[in-house]
Amino acid sequence: MEHWLYTFSIAGHNFSVNMDTIITMWTAMIALIIFALLATRKLSLVPGKLQAACENILRFFWGTLDTMIPNENRRHVPLIASLFLFILTANLMGQLPLRIIHLKTGELASPTNDINLTSAMAIIVLIYYIGTGIKQKGPKYFLHEFSFTGIVMALVELLEMVTRPLSLAIRLFANIFAGEILVSIALGLSAYFLPLPIMLFEILVAFIQATVFMMLTIAYISSATGEEH
Amino acid sequence: METNSLSQLAQLGAGIAIGFGAIGAGLGIGLATKGLMDAVSRQPEVAGKAFGFFLLGAALSEACALYAFVIAFQLLGK
Repeated sequence: MEHWLYTFSIAGHNFSVNMDTIITMWTAMIALIIFALLATRKLSLVPGKLQAACENILRFFWGTLDTMIPNENRRHVPLIASLFLFILTANLMGQLPLRIIHLKTGELASPTNDINLTSAMAIIVLIYYIGTGIKQKGPKYFLHEFSFTGIVMALVELLEMVTRPLSLAIRLFANIFAGEILVSIALGLSAYFLPLPIMLFEILVAFIQATVFMMLTIAYISSATGEEH
Repeated sequence: METNSLSQLAQLGAGIAIGFGAIGAGLGIGLATKGLMDAVSRQPEVAGKAFGFFLLGAALSEACALYAFVIAFQLLGK
């Protein structure tokens, strides 16, 4: 639960970094990069096992995008796929026995149990969907018709710019964090066998939360590019 | 006793927060399950697809309880 804080100061301002989150985040990213390099090393027309598996993963993203964004949806695949794969890897890392590596303070766990990481991803999503909306419609994206409904809608959208990334960040963070607390409570009750079903449930939660984050990102992009905006 | 009464009140508030949050999430997941059961009993062939949407909706409504959990955890730290 605690983090390994590393504090330094630049020009009189103090900064602190959660080192354990950075270590686990880079481990997840390096695992994904190695997987991607291995999968694209020998591309052939008749795919091997790894290439076929990756093509199926890509087809999953294409199918999901096709159901929610009607046209020109393939260009969102890089963001969607990297968000989903990174969140999935990061969540699943929490179930590895990383706690046998002792740090000074804190412990190595899933990197998504740190709200700094999840809010960074949520802000990336915010910038991406606003950028997509501006690219699609120009500055008209921010304008509404000048009437009572239009003004209310503009205010609601101003509010949504805060609440959408906030809820995205807190949802992912709180799910993973609550899972870890649940496992530690179960460990306190009985160290043998009781945490096992909860950890299996956490694996399910890891998949569901990655899917939820991806689906909400697609829904936000779709609402930013849609006609009825 | 007087010195740490604020932290005791914060612990009380944490309990109340997680309790009320759990009411909403329980209602939400119950409604989602009801919808799944209705859909599957009406059309058994959509069971697989409906279950995916059910998991998504259940995760979304469960998140409301987890917001309360975050607030409760913040209160416990006081």
